[in-house]
Amino acid sequence: MVSFENVSKFILSDVSIHIPKGSAVGIIGASGAGKTTFMKLACGLLEPDGGNVYTMGKNPVINRSQLGRKMSCFFTGIPVLNEFRSVRDNFKDLQIVYQISDTEFEPIYSDLATRFGFDAYEYTPVKSLSLGQRRRAELGAVLLQRPELLLLDEPANGLDENAKTIFRDILQERVKEGMTLLITSHDMKDISQMCDRIMVLNQGKMLFYGNKNTLMRKYAPMDIMIIQYEGAIPDLEDLPLSRFSFDRDMLSIVYNSNYITSAEILDLLIKKISIREVNVKKPGLEEVILEMERMKGDI
Amino acid sequence: MLKPYLAFAKKNFLNRSAYRFNHFIGIVNTLLRIFIFWCIYDALYGSRTEVDGITMAMVTTNFVLSIGMDAMFSIDDYYLSGRISNGSIANELLLPISFKGRMLFENLGNSMFQLVFHFVPALIVAALTVGFLPPVSLPMFLLFLISTILGYGVLWTISFAMQMFAFWLINVWSMVTIKNVFINVLSGSMIPLWFMPEWLKPVLDVLPFSSIYFTPVQIYLGQLTYGEIAYKCGIQGFWIVVIWLFGNLLWSRGKKKLVVQGG
Repeated sequence: MVSFENVSKFILSDVSIHIPKGSAVGIIGASGAGKTTFMKLACGLLEPDGGNVYTMGKNPVINRSQLGRKMSCFFTGIPVLNEFRSVRDNFKDLQIVYQISDTEFEPIYSDLATRFGFDAYEYTPVKSLSLGQRRRAELGAVLLQRPELLLLDEPANGLDENAKTIFRDILQERVKEGMTLLITSHDMKDISQMCDRIMVLNQGKMLFYGNKNTLMRKYAPMDIMIIQYEGAIPDLEDLPLSRFSFDRDMLSIVYNSNYITSAEILDLLIKKISIREVNVKKPGLEEVILEMERMKGDI
Repeated sequence: MLKPYLAFAKKNFLNRSAYRFNHFIGIVNTLLRIFIFWCIYDALYGSRTEVDGITMAMVTTNFVLSIGMDAMFSIDDYYLSGRISNGSIANELLLPISFKGRMLFENLGNSMFQLVFHFVPALIVAALTVGFLPPVSLPMFLLFLISTILGYGVLWTISFAMQMFAFWLINVWSMVTIKNVFINVLSGSMIPLWFMPEWLKPVLDVLPFSSIYFTPVQIYLGQLTYGEIAYKCGIQGFWIVVIWLFGNLLWSRGKKKLVVQGG
């Protein structure tokens, strides 16, 4: 669906990637890592200085308008709606642009308006709306034409938790129906829940692109086991653990699941102490990124 | 293929009717301008029936039609610059519709509204008050209509080309002001080109400004032969093509600037 061949532009340097149709890719990285540049290259708003970009098999800069029939984009800071018009008027404009018939338009509009909740202020001029209200309407607008490819750059900014959940649900439905999704976000929960693939950018370089589970295993294989126990403190020095600590009757163990499994640790401990409760925590995407940041010198 | 553009023209036409007070004030403004011009020329003519062969009725007809056409054409000179300054141009470029086509047809929708609900009522009021000459003949009136459409084309392309500078300047207010001064003075709407110095007339004849209002008015008044009409309409067409090409060159460069520099 989207291919980059040795693409360089601004901070992005020599990025090559192939995003297959129907996948949901989360693009993560610190501010200034090149996420927005990547998205603008993918939709044809930027031309690469070096390399080639293909979106749906076409050069997006030359075929931008043609691709617009199958692709929708949202960039934070680029207004989607005319602020002097009402929300509904803006959607009616988009109905003309995408040549959607009235019979098709009304159910789609009504579904989006009800779910995002902008039906309550559909006749209010956009300039009178709060950031959150405006964002709900903007996200509804990019979903109106049921795009095959959806590019979202920091879409969740300004949304409350309820709206974020609705938004995630709608996106997940659309991805299940075959839509390809590229999304950048600082909210790891968004990325973690919606995307099956992750792309990590750091200062314009692609540190990782692939399956979410692979990323976890590669960069954050550390699990944390917290055990509530009774009995004498066991000797753990011989186990391949990263670290462990005691606090009264609580034992915390940090270990690399590539070297030792939780079952192996418990098997050993259960012979020596009486275990009352066990909790094993996997790191979240946020911890993975922090770990990558910490390790970037070694990568 | 034209369907979305015609839909935008229709939508703009209908949207205009929502702002009734603004529309009413617009008609008052046009009538005031006509009345002020009539007072000025009435004072200048005094008791004379004609100056250099130009009668007061001809002058009145010139400014009534010119001011009426100006109100009818109603071109939004800030269509592009507004979108560049708030950044929404990037979003517009991603839509599966020609930005320039939408720009033209939205304006046509406005102009059609202005024609029906502004130009015609203002003309009726002007006819009943200051008065103006009727067209010399039906063929000349039809040619006047054709030339008026071409005049609109010249004015729209001038505005289009000038707006393209917004890619570099962002704010085109000063350029719009300069353009309007040139149009007001050199198009014959404020000072009929009959009264311009003899040495200047041949220059003005070939400049695009006189093509906007003065050529249609001359045809309306029957001052041109069919051969001259063909020549003048040819000049109108020439300027539409040349300015359109120039505007498109700027448009391409402007878009290139956006995709290369990112803004």
